[in-house]
Amino acid sequence: MISSSNLLELHNISKSYGALTALRDLSFHVGHSEVVGLLGDNGAGKSTTVNLISGIQKPTSGYLSIDGQKTMFTCRSDSADAGIETIYQNTALVDSLSITRNIFMGRERTNAFGFLKQTEMREIAMEVLEKAVHISGIDSPDKLVGDLSGGQKQAVAIARAVFFKRRVLLLDEPTSALSVRETEALLAQVLKLKAENVSSVLVTHNLYHAYQVCDRFVIMSHGTKVFDVKKADTTISQLTEYVVLT
Amino acid sequence: MTDSVVPKSRTRKQSLLKQIMAMPAGAILLVFVALQIVCIVGALVYPDDFRYLSPQNLTILMKAIPVLGCLALGAGILMIAGEFDLSIGSVYTFTAVLIATLVDTGVSAFIAAPLGILTGVLIGLLNGTITLRFGLPSFIVTLGGLLFWRGAVLLYNGAVQVRFDPEPIFSSLFAGTIFGVNAAFIWIILFVVGFYLLLHRHKFGNHVFATGGNRAAATAIGINTDRVKLIAFAIAGGMAAVAGIIATARVGSVQPGQGAGLELQAIAACVIGGLSLSGGRGSIIGIFLGVMLIHTITDVLLLLRAPGFYLDMFIATLIVVAAAFNHLIERRGAA
Repeated sequence: MISSSNLLELHNISKSYGALTALRDLSFHVGHSEVVGLLGDNGAGKSTTVNLISGIQKPTSGYLSIDGQKTMFTCRSDSADAGIETIYQNTALVDSLSITRNIFMGRERTNAFGFLKQTEMREIAMEVLEKAVHISGIDSPDKLVGDLSGGQKQAVAIARAVFFKRRVLLLDEPTSALSVRETEALLAQVLKLKAENVSSVLVTHNLYHAYQVCDRFVIMSHGTKVFDVKKADTTISQLTEYVVLT
Repeated sequence: MTDSVVPKSRTRKQSLLKQIMAMPAGAILLVFVALQIVCIVGALVYPDDFRYLSPQNLTILMKAIPVLGCLALGAGILMIAGEFDLSIGSVYTFTAVLIATLVDTGVSAFIAAPLGILTGVLIGLLNGTITLRFGLPSFIVTLGGLLFWRGAVLLYNGAVQVRFDPEPIFSSLFAGTIFGVNAAFIWIILFVVGFYLLLHRHKFGNHVFATGGNRAAATAIGINTDRVKLIAFAIAGGMAAVAGIIATARVGSVQPGQGAGLELQAIAACVIGGLSLSGGRGSIIGIFLGVMLIHTITDVLLLLRAPGFYLDMFIATLIVVAAAFNHLIERRGAA
C-alpha cells in the first residue's frame, strides 16, 4: 500500500481496447511539490496514462486516488475539479478562435446569463501570456490561434494550463514543437510551479529535458512500470538503458 | 566587436483593404457595399428603367429576405458546429402546413405557431440524435429527413394548397407594417441581433465554434460536444418553423411544394457569407450579408428582366467563387 500522504496515486490500473491491452497493472504516485518524469518509448502507454489521469478515458480495472481518497473520473471536468490540468501532445486548441477564447474555452468568465465578460478575459489572457510564458512574438490575445507557429500554439496551451493550474500539471510531450529557447522557458516554468507547490508529471521522449527538472522518474514499457527511481539514485545513462532495453 | 542590431519587423503593415478582407465577413461586406453602390448609382442615373430605389422594390426586398434569413441563421449555427441540415426546407413546409391546418380547425394561431416551432425543434433533435448516436454523417441523415418530411406533407395534407387564416393581430404581427417597415423585416433584424449575441457574445457560441473547429480539443477541455451539436440541430429545426410562419403569414396560404430547394439556398447563403463547410468558422453578419446578397442579385436580375435561368447561373457562380475564396483564406490561415 502506498502511503496516503501522496497527492495523486494510481492503483493497479489496467486499460484494454478490445484485444489490445494498453496498460497492465500500472501503479505509481506523485507526491506534493514533486516533478515526476514519465518516460518510455513509443507505445509504452504514456498517453493512455495521461488520458486516464485527466478523465478522458476510464480504466478497465484499478483506480486513482487524490489525497488518499479513492476517486473515479468520468469526464474531463471531474479531473479539473480535482485540480488536475493537462497540456496535451496535440495542444487541444481551436485554430479558428482567438487566443483569449482558447484560454477560456469551456471555462468562460460570464455574467449570470452566460454572456461573456470579454474585457476581463482579454486582460487576464494578456497578463498570463506575458507572465507565464515569454514566448516569441505574440503581441495580441485577439490573434487567431491558426495564425500562430507551432511553438506559439504550445505557449498558449501552456499559458492556459498555468492559469488554471491548482495541484497537478500533466505535460504530454510539451517540448516536441518548441524551439530551444521556448523549451528552456517551459522547463523553468515547471520548476517555478513546483516552488508554488504545484506538482507536475512530465511525459517525454527527451531524457535530457526530464533529467533537467524531474525529482523522480517512472519508466514504462509495454503498458506497465518497469523502473521507479529518485534522481539522486540514478544517472542519465541508466535511464537510457531502461528505456531502450526493456 | 559586433554591434547588436535590432532586426527589422518581418510583418509589414497591411493596407486598409487587406485589413477589411481579413475580417471574418470583410470580403462579403466589400462585395455587398460595391453592389449596393452600383445599384444605387444605376437607379439614380436611369430612374425609369432601373427601379431599384422605388418603394415597391424595397418592400419586395424586405419581404423576401426574412424567410431565407431565418433558415440560413439556423442552418449556419449548425454548420459552424460542424454539421449540416438538408431537411430544413421540408421541415419549413411541414410545420407551416401543420400550423395552417390547426388554425383551420379553430385553434388560435398564437397556440398553433408555438406548436409548429416545437415540432421543428423536435425534428431537429431527432436528426441530431440519429446523427450522433450512430456516428453517421448528418448530410445523409438529413437527406433522409428532406425526403421523409416532404412525403409527410403529402401524407398529412395531400398535394393541395392550405389556406392560412389567423387572427388579424397575428397577421399584422408577422406581415404588417410598422413605421413603414415590414414587420417580417423587423423580426429578422431581431433574430440577427439575438443570434449575434448568442454566437459571438455568449459562452454557448464559444462552445459552438470550439465543437466545429476542433472537436477533440473541445472534448479534451471538458465541453460536451454532443450536447452542443444537439442544441444546434434543434435551433436549425426551430428556425425552419419560424421561416414557415413568416412566409405563411405573408402569403396567407401554404403550397405543399414551396420549401423545395430552400435548404440549398440557405446553405449557399452561409457559404457566400464565409462559413467553412468543415465547421468552426463564420459569423452571423456574414450569414445575413450572404442572404441579402442572394436577394439583391435576384432582385437586380428581375429588374433587368433577365430570364430566370440567369438567376440560377449567377447564384451558382457566386457560391463556387465564395467557397474557393474562403478555402484560400483558410489555407493561408493554416500556413
